[in-house]
Amino acid sequence: MPFRFLRLQGFLAAAILLLATLVALPAAAQDRADIVAEICSGDFAAQQSALSRLAGAGVEAGSEGALWARRIVEAFEGRSLRCGDGLAVIDTPDGPLRASTLEPAEGVDTSTLSAPSVNLRLRAVAASAGAVLRLFTEESVAARAEAAAYVDRRREALTPEILAAAVERETDAALRDTLSTLRASLLLADPDPVNRIAAIEAIAQDATLRNRTAIAEALAGETDAAVLAAGEKAMAGIDRTLALGKVLATLYSGASYASVLFLAALGLAIIFGLMGVINLAQGELIMIGAYAAWFTQEAIRAALPGLLDYYLILAIPVSFLAAALVGLLMEVLVIRRLYDRPLMTLLATWAISLLLINTVRVTVGSQNLEFYQPAYVSGGFPVLGDFIMTSNRLFAIAVALFAFIAVVILLRRSLFGMNVRAVTQNRAMAGAAGIDTRRTDMMAFALGSGLAGLAGLALSPLYNVNPGMGTGFIVDSFMVVVLGGVGSLVGAIVAALGIGQINVVIEPIYGAVAAKVLVLLLVIVFIQWRPEGLFAPKGRR
Amino acid sequence: MKRRSFVKGLITASAGSVIASPWVARKAFAAAHSDTVKLGCLFSSSGTMANIEGRLNYVARMAAEELNAKGGVLGKMVEVVTTDPGSDWPLYAQLGRQLIQQEGVAATFGCWTSVSRKSVLPVVEQNDALLYYPLHFEGEENSKNVVYLNSPPSSSVLPAVEYLMSEEGGSAKRFFMLGSDYVWPRTINQQLKGYWASKGIEADAWREEYVPVGHSNFQTLINEIRAFADQPGGQPVVILTVVGNSIPDFFREYVNQGISAFDVPVLGLDALEADFEGLDTTALVGHLNCWAYLQNAPGARNQEFLSAWANYVNANGVPYRPDVAIDPMVSTYDGVHLWALAAEKAGSFDVPAVREASAGLTFACPSGYEISMTAENTYVKRGVFIGSLNESQGFDILWQSPDTPDPVPFSPYMNA
Repeated sequence: MPFRFLRLQGFLAAAILLLATLVALPAAAQDRADIVAEICSGDFAAQQSALSRLAGAGVEAGSEGALWARRIVEAFEGRSLRCGDGLAVIDTPDGPLRASTLEPAEGVDTSTLSAPSVNLRLRAVAASAGAVLRLFTEESVAARAEAAAYVDRRREALTPEILAAAVERETDAALRDTLSTLRASLLLADPDPVNRIAAIEAIAQDATLRNRTAIAEALAGETDAAVLAAGEKAMAGIDRTLALGKVLATLYSGASYASVLFLAALGLAIIFGLMGVINLAQGELIMIGAYAAWFTQEAIRAALPGLLDYYLILAIPVSFLAAALVGLLMEVLVIRRLYDRPLMTLLATWAISLLLINTVRVTVGSQNLEFYQPAYVSGGFPVLGDFIMTSNRLFAIAVALFAFIAVVILLRRSLFGMNVRAVTQNRAMAGAAGIDTRRTDMMAFALGSGLAGLAGLALSPLYNVNPGMGTGFIVDSFMVVVLGGVGSLVGAIVAALGIGQINVVIEPIYGAVAAKVLVLLLVIVFIQWRPEGLFAPKGRR
Repeated sequence: MKRRSFVKGLITASAGSVIASPWVARKAFAAAHSDTVKLGCLFSSSGTMANIEGRLNYVARMAAEELNAKGGVLGKMVEVVTTDPGSDWPLYAQLGRQLIQQEGVAATFGCWTSVSRKSVLPVVEQNDALLYYPLHFEGEENSKNVVYLNSPPSSSVLPAVEYLMSEEGGSAKRFFMLGSDYVWPRTINQQLKGYWASKGIEADAWREEYVPVGHSNFQTLINEIRAFADQPGGQPVVILTVVGNSIPDFFREYVNQGISAFDVPVLGLDALEADFEGLDTTALVGHLNCWAYLQNAPGARNQEFLSAWANYVNANGVPYRPDVAIDPMVSTYDGVHLWALAAEKAGSFDVPAVREASAGLTFACPSGYEISMTAENTYVKRGVFIGSLNESQGFDILWQSPDTPDPVPFSPYMNA
């Protein structure tokens, strides 16, 4: 009897064990199939809840589950998840995989299946869930830190529980701190006032208007005096930072607009300012510089793809020389013959500008060119409050400064510069002293053209590059040169800064259209008052 | 040189550019033959609209070639006469008059911006000519001399805004309207404000800003948008009505300042596949537009059109991309065919006869809808698509209308 009982017991135990494993395995698999089915359902609420469950998989299902969930979320976002008649597969280059098991799905024709539609709301949840899952699955600390920064911004799929688990798992001390702060900030509606105060303080660490709004909204229904006091204090702190950030942002916008104006005007400051030639093709020289940068990019892409990131630097001499060469040809073939007939020069250079525009249009086409944007000219970085410094404009400011310094040194310190200054001040006398004035004119014109080409390069990450791009710059650059004082480089930089700054100060108050009107009006009044501009060159012209 | 003579010269030059840059191009060989019928095109191939408007010239030619391949219209070969109004609005009127009076065109296809259409309008009305206008626009106009090939706001903008305000579209609550400063953006925004007011939305939930046409420096405005978005009151969206090359400039700055479509989606009412040709759109995914045709429209008719365009581009060395098709291209294409159908039905090229025959005509549009001319005016019933920008500079279809809604020329929200 005891023997048999034991056997029965053993049998039962084994049966239970077997049953347990049988149940346990399909349970996880069934869960996965359910989640996939919900995502495929096309029902907005079901899809949203499925994505939230996927985000939680890192906590509940361990790292294997998190990896699977991440795979699904990414496939959904990238629209490689395809559904149809009870089937869900992930389309990969090596053939489809079954979504719930990630095993190859043989004999499935993916062309009959369709990707579930991803609207904005779902995309946001999916992006958040994807970042959460990266927190749990990425090997490198840097990648996890990036994911943490992302979930800080996109919190749709984030819960305090998920973050608690992430803090638990995190091995890197600095990242742990970041995540703890992030977790604290989620407790703005916590029943415990201590947690609420901690949340306010955590949020206030990043002084942005968005966070200020979050605190203000939380305080609206607040009754606890300590929390209210902490909130007011946090908001006052944020307000100070925001005000400072706003001033910096305005200064930066002004400086960046000024750098654009200055770059466009620099070549003209030499050609018109020093030589007195009205070059209406100046804008087209900018365009030539931008096209030269594009051709350099294409050449590097074809020949040395590894250096593609640095094409903007490598293109500096190319853009400069291409525009300088066009300028040189213009001078030798046309402008040289018209030095004593200024109005003819004006018409001739205008004709050249039309010629250049249409030549480019016929040969390259009139569409906007696509420029590869290396990391140093794309995006921006937050500095203070809501002030974001955009990289492409920083690049333009840097090139403008570089060009200014280089030109000043060239004019002040080199023999060529001395010749140019001598010819500018008194042509006949300079000629008598043995300076080849013709050659000096030619070189100065080429320099002015080359600088316009450089401007084209520096502006290519900011503006559309197409055949007509130059026409927009011509009026602005004449305005800067005339306002600054014909012949004065310092005048040009001051005038550019002035116009840029006034423009960005007026724009938010009266709108962009009025800003343009007011700036032009100010320039007219100023020229009436001081016809020779800000910095009138001394000497005989 | 003296400054004064320079300033004078500059003024002369800029005045001259208005008069001299455009030109009427004729095909000399056909001008003298009377066995052809002429169609005129008023689309700019220079200036700020050149990049998008220029391609419509080629589509009109392509459609004419299709007609000619089938033996022409009423036994006559169709010849397309193109012009370049240089994105200069008054010039559209001048060249339009030239096309009608000197070239004797049977119909004119033209204009992108509403301000150019408004400038041509008196010309076609005085000469009792026909202008086929291929853009969706602000409505508030109903001329018997204009065939409005595309939709007024009731069947393009409003469905899109409604979608944005729905749960699925992100429950938009606050609106930043940013437009180029001319009639289309101002009228559209006026109607939108009336629409929102009728829904009980308070006036402090929206802001309206305008920039000069061709504006390129959006730094300050995007700072403003960020500040607007971060204020309390619910999900913000941007209703973008800037045109031409301002569109890529806007989006470039938008991305660089780190705003994504999740934070503040942009509904670009004039944003097209072609506007994103020079941009990396991976950071722009999710922004929206609304048109009566998107390149991803399903159906064999669309594939047919796309391959016809690609072949045309490759065979004729057209300086545009063979793999990009935009709504106004399709509308122009539809327009040429609708005109041909009307002329065949009327048995004449006379404008009154063609207009009369137009009522109720239908055409299988590449968008997949069977579009039709209304009987009571010269509007066309089109379908509606809402597109969402994808990584490859195209638009995925988020939503499309089940049928072709009736166009409403005069919006009830205009003076609300």
